[in-house]
Amino acid sequence: MKALMWRAVVNGQAVQLSVPPTRLLLSLLREELELTGTKLSCGLGRCGACMVLVDGMAVNACLVMAYQCQNREITTIEGLASQELHPVQQAFMEEGGFQCGYCTPGMIMSVQALLGQHPEPTEEQILQGLSGNLCRCTGYGGILRAVGRCCNKMESPGQADETSSV
Amino acid sequence: MLLDKSTAGARWHLRPDGMEKVTGRLRYLTDLKAPGMLYGKVLRSAMPHAQLVSIRTARAEALAGVHAVLTHKDVPGLNRFGIVIPDQPVLCEDRVRYVGDAIAAVAAESPEIAAYALSLIEVDYVPLPVVDSPDAALRAEAPMLHPQGNVLHRTHYARGDVEKAFHACAYVVEATYRTPRQMHGYMETEGGLFSWDADGRLTVQAATQHGYKDRMQLSRILAVPEERIRVISSPIGGSFGGKDELNVQPYGALLALRTGKPVKIHHTRRESVRAGLKRHPMEVTMKTGIDADGKLVAHSVRIIADTGAYATLGAPVLNFATEHAMGPYRMDHVLVEGRSVFTNNGVSGEFRGFGGNQVIFALESQLDRLAAQSGIPPWELRRRNLRQPTDPGPLGNTVMPTDGAAQVWQEIQTSKLWQAAESEGGEKHVPGRPWLRLGFGAAMAMHGSGLGYGIPDPGGGRLGLNAEGKLEAAFSFEEFGQGIMATLEIMLMELFGCDAEDLHLMIGDTDKAPHSGSSTASRSTTIAHLTLSELHPKLTAAMLVAAAEASGHDAACLVTGRGGIWLEDGEGPIISYRELAARTSGSLCYEAAVHFPVTPDPVTGAHFLYTCTAAAVRVEVDTRSGTVRVLEQAHAVAAGPVVNPMGYIGQIEGGASMALGYTLMEDAVMEEACYRTENLDTYMLPTIADSQATFRIHAIEELPPGDPYGPRGIGEVGSVALAPAITAAIYRATGRRIDRLPVRREDLIMRLAGQTGGEETL
Repeated sequence: MKALMWRAVVNGQAVQLSVPPTRLLLSLLREELELTGTKLSCGLGRCGACMVLVDGMAVNACLVMAYQCQNREITTIEGLASQELHPVQQAFMEEGGFQCGYCTPGMIMSVQALLGQHPEPTEEQILQGLSGNLCRCTGYGGILRAVGRCCNKMESPGQADETSSV
Repeated sequence: MLLDKSTAGARWHLRPDGMEKVTGRLRYLTDLKAPGMLYGKVLRSAMPHAQLVSIRTARAEALAGVHAVLTHKDVPGLNRFGIVIPDQPVLCEDRVRYVGDAIAAVAAESPEIAAYALSLIEVDYVPLPVVDSPDAALRAEAPMLHPQGNVLHRTHYARGDVEKAFHACAYVVEATYRTPRQMHGYMETEGGLFSWDADGRLTVQAATQHGYKDRMQLSRILAVPEERIRVISSPIGGSFGGKDELNVQPYGALLALRTGKPVKIHHTRRESVRAGLKRHPMEVTMKTGIDADGKLVAHSVRIIADTGAYATLGAPVLNFATEHAMGPYRMDHVLVEGRSVFTNNGVSGEFRGFGGNQVIFALESQLDRLAAQSGIPPWELRRRNLRQPTDPGPLGNTVMPTDGAAQVWQEIQTSKLWQAAESEGGEKHVPGRPWLRLGFGAAMAMHGSGLGYGIPDPGGGRLGLNAEGKLEAAFSFEEFGQGIMATLEIMLMELFGCDAEDLHLMIGDTDKAPHSGSSTASRSTTIAHLTLSELHPKLTAAMLVAAAEASGHDAACLVTGRGGIWLEDGEGPIISYRELAARTSGSLCYEAAVHFPVTPDPVTGAHFLYTCTAAAVRVEVDTRSGTVRVLEQAHAVAAGPVVNPMGYIGQIEGGASMALGYTLMEDAVMEEACYRTENLDTYMLPTIADSQATFRIHAIEELPPGDPYGPRGIGEVGSVALAPAITAAIYRATGRRIDRLPVRREDLIMRLAGQTGGEETL
């Protein structure tokens, strides 16, 4: 099989790679680029552990082929923040939006996509926007509080700051 | 106390593993790679029950890129595994008993080559009759699945004389309850990396909930002394009991041994569903009677558990179910008979709640039925039967006194949810939407922690001042999300008055941490508390003596604090931990071995420490579609002091979410012993849209005076009482009794006119 010269911008960096045309985006990210924050869990687009942004839209990396993302801009959890934590990451930390953490990168990317599309989402938009991401640990309570904090819906961030100990 | 971030105050503590998790930097064991690594895959049986006539591997071996193909002949030691009874073949010799049975293992240069190689292995099967239910297994003509027959384990517990006592009852109800084959649904499927070094030492980096137990089992299989095996078992992307038993470890270790190269195995979700453990489906028949005053008089229970093809923890799970079938209630005449039955279905094993979930659903449903029959309100009926603090445990065993049952009973009754339900006066309808029905329900439970009488349950840990000047705590526990890292950090910060930066935690590595026992059975918090209670005074005393020598102050005037040793009156630090470490050169290090508190009475499986919980819910049933929405939940938990509020909330919310799935949607359906639900597209886990209910947690921290055991684990208790609360609410809304989980929507579809709901009040 003839290899494909794959070009895209991944986390702000131009990437050029020779890959087989059968390569999934997920395996390219995890195996070639060692961006293992993007997880594999169901492999059929149900759980969202592999969620990344392609041109700002949430995409299951286990469902798209690498070639379909040619010349696109791809953001993984590793590219969300540079030095400081991204506000969504910070909110997950402070509100207990994760436990085992395996769904967390995908969940955070979906929140980012949601807020990109709806900076002030309604409850229905939140539920719809995150229904493609399964979390088995939290029961979603901490995740909803984190999202609420990101869009100032549920409580004032000031109160949260006072009570965090780190 | 209503537990949330605002009431948690200074104890609201950011998790030490949080930064790596939210940035995606954390390397799970299935993310690891090694130079020259091969990929392992396991051939599972094509049939649920068959004789193996031949296994031909030549074509697979000849495939380019394949480095090893192993069968049972290649297992150097015991070709069996199982935590209690090793009866599951690592690689089957002549018979397969379920579709997850392993027949061969392959190591190849890519996962694709390994998968293709599996397809080239030729296996000749002679099908045997399939035993696809406990009923079928218990028939006289059923094929014997194991030498001892088809019953793995029986339990029998009796006190009083139930048969006679039923005659004296004013009301008696009898029903059979059926519960599903719930899947753990951890997001990270099983896997890891296995490598042998030049000195013949194996490093296993794969998830488990008891690293030392894996080491022992692997030692038996590989015929290698335990000291030549290192098990790194943390961090883990979820487990819930499901990874406690060995899964991929034997294959990874054997393939790495054969090839001399590191081998990685990572189950696909389909492989995980096929081979992995599930919760025991149970059929629980209960006959329960009360007298005219509503006092429980007689309770007879028959439990039949589908334990699947192999033993793993099937026997202890049945013991637990037997013990918990009486709940937190007084009753004089009891008979419980349980059987855990082998079938050709998937293997059932350890799962959060450990056999309690099934019988608590049945028992609480019985109480609601008795309430309806007698006209006594359901919660009042419970009150009349609650155990008292110094009562013996459910099996007559001596227990640590607890008033938890009365506490959670009271707390739920005074909750906002209860008050709102009461003020609505049981109104079931939504104005303008006659197809919607509203209902309220509540249930309670008591849950034992630790492994129970008769199973060695040791623990321990190490605490010292390391050479880098960090207060170093080492435990062999695993972090799978439950928050043991944060809990340890908070405990240590409070004991030493120090900062998180002064600490170094080491967990989940048999080379680096002493034996703490398993990270199961809601036991680790207790073990950590007991261990640190012993070690903290020793290390503190030694550090203060060393600091006194260095500073010239009297040791009695010194205390530990942030960054080092302080004067008692607040000046300091007068000597930093780093300086102290330089002076003592790593010599301050203490180990403790403790044992989980256990009942003194020789009652197999019986517990000593119990936590209690009560849950109340409001539900909305759409009678057009049978859809149930849980609108509001309140949970009261009596488990001693809350060490780690964020973790506590997360465990109760997460346990409740799992119970919501158990009640309303989850079932790993098998037909003729083959899975019909193979992945998360057909196995339904609750999503965020199923989970937006208002959720309040009432944490009851008071323990009886003089209780020495401190905070209790709460990893399981949030998952045990919700199902019967939801089904009680559904009954209130629709008048339909639910005896089978998950609730079937078709059972709740109603005609708009001419239907009435249940009539009893709060």
